[in-house]
Amino acid sequence: MRLDFEFMQETFLLVWSGAGTTLSLTALVLLVSIPLGFYLAAVRLHSGLIISSAVRGYVSFVRGTPIILQILLVYSLLPSLLNAAAQAAGLSVNIFDLIEPFWYAAVVFTLNTTALLTEVFRSSLTAIPKGQLEAGLTCGMSAFKTYLHIIVPQALAVALPGLCNATVNLVKGTSLAFLMTVKDIMAVGKIAASYGYNYLEAYLDVFLVYLILCTIIQLGYAVLEARLSTFRAKL
Amino acid sequence: METRIFDFSMIGTALPDLLQYLDITLLVAGSSIAFGSLLGMLLAWAKLDGVRPLYWLAQGYTYIIRCTPSIVLLFIVFYGLPEAADSIFSYDMNDMHRGVFAVIAFTMLFGAYISEVFRAAYMAVPRGQYEAAVCAGLSSMQAFFHIMLPQAALIALPNFGNSVISLLKEGALAYTIGLIDLIGRGNLLISQNFGAYGIEIYLACLLIYWAMALGLEYIFGKAEQYLGKGRGVQAKKRTARSSKALLKRLFSAGKGGEAHET
Repeated sequence: MRLDFEFMQETFLLVWSGAGTTLSLTALVLLVSIPLGFYLAAVRLHSGLIISSAVRGYVSFVRGTPIILQILLVYSLLPSLLNAAAQAAGLSVNIFDLIEPFWYAAVVFTLNTTALLTEVFRSSLTAIPKGQLEAGLTCGMSAFKTYLHIIVPQALAVALPGLCNATVNLVKGTSLAFLMTVKDIMAVGKIAASYGYNYLEAYLDVFLVYLILCTIIQLGYAVLEARLSTFRAKL
Repeated sequence: METRIFDFSMIGTALPDLLQYLDITLLVAGSSIAFGSLLGMLLAWAKLDGVRPLYWLAQGYTYIIRCTPSIVLLFIVFYGLPEAADSIFSYDMNDMHRGVFAVIAFTMLFGAYISEVFRAAYMAVPRGQYEAAVCAGLSSMQAFFHIMLPQAALIALPNFGNSVISLLKEGALAYTIGLIDLIGRGNLLISQNFGAYGIEIYLACLLIYWAMALGLEYIFGKAEQYLGKGRGVQAKKRTARSSKALLKRLFSAGKGGEAHET
C-alpha cells in the first residue's frame, strides 16, 4: 500500500475549505435547536396528555429512524412541496434555483437535533428539584421568569455533557449533507477523491479534519462546563 | 412542472418488496453487534485492567472512533482495506462481498461505543463484591464470572439496548458502498420507476426502521424488568442479592457475603 503523501497534503488544505460550511451548518442548527429543544422538553414535562404525547411521538420517530433516511425523505419531499406552495400562491419563482441545498440540510438536522436535545433537556430539567420552581413562584416571580433566571441556568450546567455529545454527533452527522449536494468537508473530500481515484488518501484527510474539529469542540465544552458549574463549588 | 399527488397505496405495495431485503440489513447489523461486543469486551478489559500501552491504545482507539463520522469510517474501510490486505498479505479482497466491509466498519464502530458501556457497567459494581468473593475462596476467574459479570451485565443492559438501536440506524449507511439492503433496494425501486415514488418508498423504509427500533426498545425494557426483579425497591443498597445467595449456598455459614457492607 502506497499513500500519495503529496496529494494528501494538498487535499488536506483543500478539505479545510469545507469546514466553513460544516461549522456554519452546525452553528445554525444549534442556534435553533437549543431553544426549541428546551421548549419542547418543558412542554413534554408540563402540558396535557395530547401535546406531550405528540412531542413524545416526534422524539421517538426521529430517534428510531436513521438520519440518512430522514435526509433522503426531506430532500425528496420539501423542494417539490415548496414549489407546489409557491405555485399555488401565484409566485413565479423557481424554488429549485432559489433555495440552496444548505437550507434543506439545515431543516433536516434541526428536526433531528431538536429531538435529541429534547431528551437531553428533559432529563436535565427533571434533575432540578421541583422546589426551585415553587420557591420562585412563592417569591412572586412569574413561571417564565423563574424558568429564565432560576431553572435554565442550572439545567444548562447539567445538560452540558449531553449537549457536547449532541454537538459532536451533529458535526459528524453533517458529513451526510453531501447527499444533498452541500459542499461540506465530506463533499470536498469526495470530489478530490474521484478526481484522481485517490479515495483512501482523500478520506483519510477528511477523517483527520473531523478528528481535529471534534477535539476542539470537546475542549471548548470542557472549558464551558468548568465555567458554568462554578456555582456548584460554592455549595 | 406538474406535481404528482402523493400515492398512499404505493407504501403498501413497496413494503413487502422492501421487507424481502430486511434480512441483509439485519445480518449486517447482527454480526456487527456480535463481533463488536467481543471487540468491546477486549477494549473494556484493556481500559480496566490492561498494562499502560494497552490502556492508552484502547483509550485512543475509542476517542478516534467517537470523533469519526461513520460514513468516513465506512469509506476508509471500503477503499483502504483491500489495498492494505493486498500489500501486506498479497490477498485480493476486491471480489469480496460488500457486506463484509460494512460488517468490519460497523464492528469497529460498535466495539468502541460498547467498550465504554461495558467499562462503566463494570465500574458501577462495587469493588467490595469482588474482594468478598475472593475472600470467600473463589478464584479470581470465578469471582469475575459468577459475581461481577451478572451484576455488570444487568447495569449495562439499558445502554447496550440503546447502542444496538443506534447501530441498527448507522447500518442504514451500508447502501452508500453499494450493498443492496433495505435502502439499497428502495433506491433501486425508485430508479425502476424513473425517480418517481421517492417519498413513498423512503417513508416505507422509515416505518420499517421505526418499527424495529420500537420493538427493540420494548424487548430490552422487558428484559431489564425481568432480570432486575426484586431489586427495584432499594436501588441504593443494590449490593447484589444474587451474589449473597450464591455465597450462602457455597458456604452455609451465611455471613460471608456481608463483608463489604461496612
